[in-house]
Amino acid sequence: MTKILIIEDNYANLTLVMRVLEPQGYELHTAADAESGIQKAIEELPDLVLIDIGLPDYDGHTVLMWLKQVTELAHTHFVALSAWPAELAAETVDRYGYDGFISKPIDIHQFPTQIRSYLSTAQDV
Amino acid sequence: MRLVPAPHLSMEQLAAAYNEARVDYIVPMPLTVNRLRHYINIYDVDLARSCAAVERIGNQEKILGLGMLGVRTGRGWITRLGVLPSGRRRGIGRSIMEHLLRGAAECAVSVTWLDVIKGNTPAHELFLNLGFIETRELIVARRPPDYQAQSARTGRGHVHNVRTYNREGALALLEQRRGRPSWLNEIESFRKAGDLSAISLATTQGGRGWVAFQVSLLRLTRIVVEVIVGDPAGVCAALLHTLHSYYPTQDAISENVPADDPVWPGYLQAGYIESFRRIEMVREI
Repeated sequence: MTKILIIEDNYANLTLVMRVLEPQGYELHTAADAESGIQKAIEELPDLVLIDIGLPDYDGHTVLMWLKQVTELAHTHFVALSAWPAELAAETVDRYGYDGFISKPIDIHQFPTQIRSYLSTAQDV
Repeated sequence: MRLVPAPHLSMEQLAAAYNEARVDYIVPMPLTVNRLRHYINIYDVDLARSCAAVERIGNQEKILGLGMLGVRTGRGWITRLGVLPSGRRRGIGRSIMEHLLRGAAECAVSVTWLDVIKGNTPAHELFLNLGFIETRELIVARRPPDYQAQSARTGRGHVHNVRTYNREGALALLEQRRGRPSWLNEIESFRKAGDLSAISLATTQGGRGWVAFQVSLLRLTRIVVEVIVGDPAGVCAALLHTLHSYYPTQDAISENVPADDPVWPGYLQAGYIESFRRIEMVREI
């Protein structure tokens, strides 16, 4: 089963993402801060990690940089999840090497398709 | 609605309210309870003069907003101001600000500073209405780790007399800065920060300077560059390349680089990107 880890500190946002993704048949894991997110990623080796850029301990960029150094996660795709305006986030997301960026609040109709597209890219690779 | 001093609430309540207030901000920057405690300590926040707006709903008191006041010799600093979505458009932000400014006046400070994220128009307009004037724009810059060791190649060839400093040495260098740092980067902040280091060097073009920083397992923070002699951008780039050749796996954050500082192009040359800007503002009491 495809595993997705969601690192998101805001309960309302996390609940919404879970409600949209649960019916899609993914195995979902969650973490509410950077440290537990890094820990869970190493334990679960997910296929895709959704990372909220604004986390309370370390921010999403630092999480990503740490996870990219984990050999076992070499084939995992990382997608930023943020309320930052796309134009503000674009260069940072690109330079840090995320595989994609999804704006918050998520569009509940588009979101499953966005997730599928990142996962299919991962499988193509 | 009434204002209560911040110590009337628990640190958990303050952190939760702050995070909720900023959940839809351009740059939310949430905090854990420990990080809030650390922030209060490092930036000399006077909790007794900080406050929260609360409202009784049924048997429960709900926090609608909060704001904090930092106090250092002769100057104050307003920070962590936020109004929860449920409390907006009721003048709560202004009430909190007026309370904080009264607190600053009681501390015999002559000026009060603050910085607002560029693009946060409602807050910016409130501060202008309260008599704050803009002083400059401050850049928050980031740099991803350098896996290809670009800095190792670029940084070492054109520098000599590279010297490293421990915490005391770094603080001694920071005392010598010529420009006016923002509140976050004032010497008082660094004196309370742990794991400080610094590197100084000379360039083959005759430049000299130093970079101070805080190092942790995951990242470099509190990065401050001072160019003593030479081309500011070139010496700055040499300092940062050298720094990152020593710490190739750390993410890097430099907060509040003045946008008009001639060293800023050196940050760009060394691989930094502008994450967002703050507008620094000041008001005489």
